[in-house]
Amino acid sequence: MGALLALGILSGCGQAPAASAEGVISVTTSACGTGWRHPSAGVQTLQIHNAASSAVEVTLVDAYNGAVYARVDGVGPGTTRAMPVNVGSGAYTFECDGATYGNRTGPTVRVPGHVRGGTAIAPVSTSQMDGAIGQEAAYVTSGLATVARQTAELAALIKAGNLSAARVTWLAAHMSWERLGSAYGMFGPYDDEVDGTPFGLVNGVNNTAFTGFYRLEYGLWHGESAAELSGPANTLALNVRSLVTAYPGMATLPQLALSDLALRTHEVLENAMQQQLSGEDDFGSGTTLATVEAGIDATRAQLGFLHPLLATRYPNLGGLYDWLNRLQDLVDAEKTSRGWTPVGQLSAQQREELDAAAGQTVQLLALIPPMFEADPNS
Amino acid sequence: MTESEPTTGDSVAGPSRPAGRRAFLRGALSAGAAGAAGVAAGYAFARPDASRATAPGDALAAGVEARLPAVPFHGPHQSGILPVPQRQTLVVALNVTAQGRGELLDLFQTLTSRARFLTAGGTPPPVGITGPPSDSGILGPVVVPDGLTITVGVGASLFDDRFGLADRKPAHLTTMLPFPNDNLDPAQCQGDLSLQLSAGSADTVLHALRDIARSTRGGMQVLWRIDGFSSAPRPAGTTPRNLMGFMDGIANPDVKDPGVMSSLVWARPGANGEPAWTARGSYQVIRLIRMFVEFWDRVSLTEQEQMFGRRRDNGAPLDANSEFATPDYADDPEGAVIPLTAHIRLANPRTPQTNSSRILRRAYNYDRGVDAVGNLDMGLIFTCYQQDIKRQFEAVQTRLIGEPLVDYISPFGGGYFFALPGVANASDYYGRAMLA
Repeated sequence: MGALLALGILSGCGQAPAASAEGVISVTTSACGTGWRHPSAGVQTLQIHNAASSAVEVTLVDAYNGAVYARVDGVGPGTTRAMPVNVGSGAYTFECDGATYGNRTGPTVRVPGHVRGGTAIAPVSTSQMDGAIGQEAAYVTSGLATVARQTAELAALIKAGNLSAARVTWLAAHMSWERLGSAYGMFGPYDDEVDGTPFGLVNGVNNTAFTGFYRLEYGLWHGESAAELSGPANTLALNVRSLVTAYPGMATLPQLALSDLALRTHEVLENAMQQQLSGEDDFGSGTTLATVEAGIDATRAQLGFLHPLLATRYPNLGGLYDWLNRLQDLVDAEKTSRGWTPVGQLSAQQREELDAAAGQTVQLLALIPPMFEADPNS
Repeated sequence: MTESEPTTGDSVAGPSRPAGRRAFLRGALSAGAAGAAGVAAGYAFARPDASRATAPGDALAAGVEARLPAVPFHGPHQSGILPVPQRQTLVVALNVTAQGRGELLDLFQTLTSRARFLTAGGTPPPVGITGPPSDSGILGPVVVPDGLTITVGVGASLFDDRFGLADRKPAHLTTMLPFPNDNLDPAQCQGDLSLQLSAGSADTVLHALRDIARSTRGGMQVLWRIDGFSSAPRPAGTTPRNLMGFMDGIANPDVKDPGVMSSLVWARPGANGEPAWTARGSYQVIRLIRMFVEFWDRVSLTEQEQMFGRRRDNGAPLDANSEFATPDYADDPEGAVIPLTAHIRLANPRTPQTNSSRILRRAYNYDRGVDAVGNLDMGLIFTCYQQDIKRQFEAVQTRLIGEPLVDYISPFGGGYFFALPGVANASDYYGRAMLA
């Protein structure tokens, strides 16, 4: 076995890709993935040619259990696309899918020997998929109700002129919002209405299109009066109420919903690093680390929804949680009796430790979306 | 690409296609033929070709020692507008501190004489004991031209009340306003003048900047500056890549076609109130665009390619097999192959209605250190030339609002300028017609 493994490693590293005696792998209107005539093990680039008349997604799967080795999306008619793959000994088949093309499975191809190939990702069952997205929908629905209650309370406090209590409620409401884990336009236009920044607006913070949490933060921490802030506070509460009503209608196909959930599991902390840890989205309260904290909560929740899927697919889930815990400990340490430390007041060492933990965490989270990527056209 | 790429035994080329004219030209532009080939109004620069050297040491030596020949300074247009990006560039925006029209005229004349010398090269005059040396010496005792081109632009603010030029402002020259995804830093935006210095090597452009600055110290001051480079084509013969790993500027209008240039690039005096002096000039848009490269590197290849609409490996549109193939959007109305939101599809839909919005894209990469969060600060010095900013750049940019790529980039600076007409001969100078 040792010798065989060594052979596998040799064929997988630093060597020119295996010869292409097998020719082009072809997709036609009647057949999927034919032409792989003399398959051999090793790292190689298969050339997938679509001779059919419509676009296809081509997936190389394990013929026994359907686990996915490689996939190319949207291969247009008449085009040839590269599919790099580390082929081990075993049985393979191509699957071709397209909205117009339909679904076809190709012939089984056997690679002889005992060479270990690349890692395949097991397909997701419908019940697993429904489980994950159902849990997320319930989580978001419940979280939105909290945000609606808190933003109504915020508007009432502002109307009553109690701005110091409003500042406390603003932070709680904003953290509840961030805990929903929206990213990548999860809430469509509501994302900008509720949590948009003035960047990209002419006259910045003075532009009337600047609404939502950050508009209120700017006013609450820049000495604006209750009268000036009442309008924006009511608008925020109203927009959140509208979103509560609209959210159930935003449901999409399960495959896309799962793909989006996986993207967000990476993306929420990516955004937190870019906009909060940097201080870019601090409009006066100095609470961007609270937003990071809420982002960690959201990421944990999303990892939880995906847990049954990740447990068998993600190679080092424990390592990911270790880094997430480390990041959380560092962030929590900045919540003191005086409130959250503004990122501008972090020491160089605190800054480096936070950046390192956040950077390593997103590096590990980034492995998740490709495992669940869905072709919107299939 | 199909023709020039060496076919290795492991890969099977797609259906072969006849050599397109553009592909041929591209190959000619970046092949190692010595000498700048002046064609029509534009100059194609031969890049130093180290690939013929036999040993690694030779290749290094060739890369260091190779210097490009001079690009003719005099001509109807400024010589840095049409050529493909050179290896090195430097962009500065400046505010004019000259007082009144007379000092402004002096400034432009000084700028002209320095540019004339620097682009031609030669021995700086000896000064004896009358002062410090007249040249910084960083290019050695004899200044080499190294393909230096200098492009001078004027911003809208030059046409305020300081110099009595208000009635001569180019008709389409405005101040750059933010687009929805922008995060503009006022300290890195606009300026009275833009100055772009491009050449084969970093020391050449730095030498030129120091020379020009010492000669114009009282007349203008730097507002912002950024250095850039154009990567070597990888593989050879292809369009150079940006720092997202994608080839950048594949689909440009044909600079060899004077008709195309006069309808897309050069100003049209008389039309829509365009002053006569703008003839042979062009509107220049500079956009400094940060790329979040760490984030980008954490995105799957499929997602990356669908955002651009091209393959990362060979630059081909996703519906074709080679870099210079024309995407056929009519055949893909629902975006099954090239998503409707793909960058190339929104930027240039290739319809008769959008043909007049095409721009001449001349982008460089930039790389300048690390940001406050420890991420690399690198991206693109997007520069384009056009006849009308609103009809062209702004129309393109408006189509791109909300494209998926916006999550990975952040435009933070730049400005709108008008690149002056060329300096025609030894007695001409920058802005002569504008100041007349």
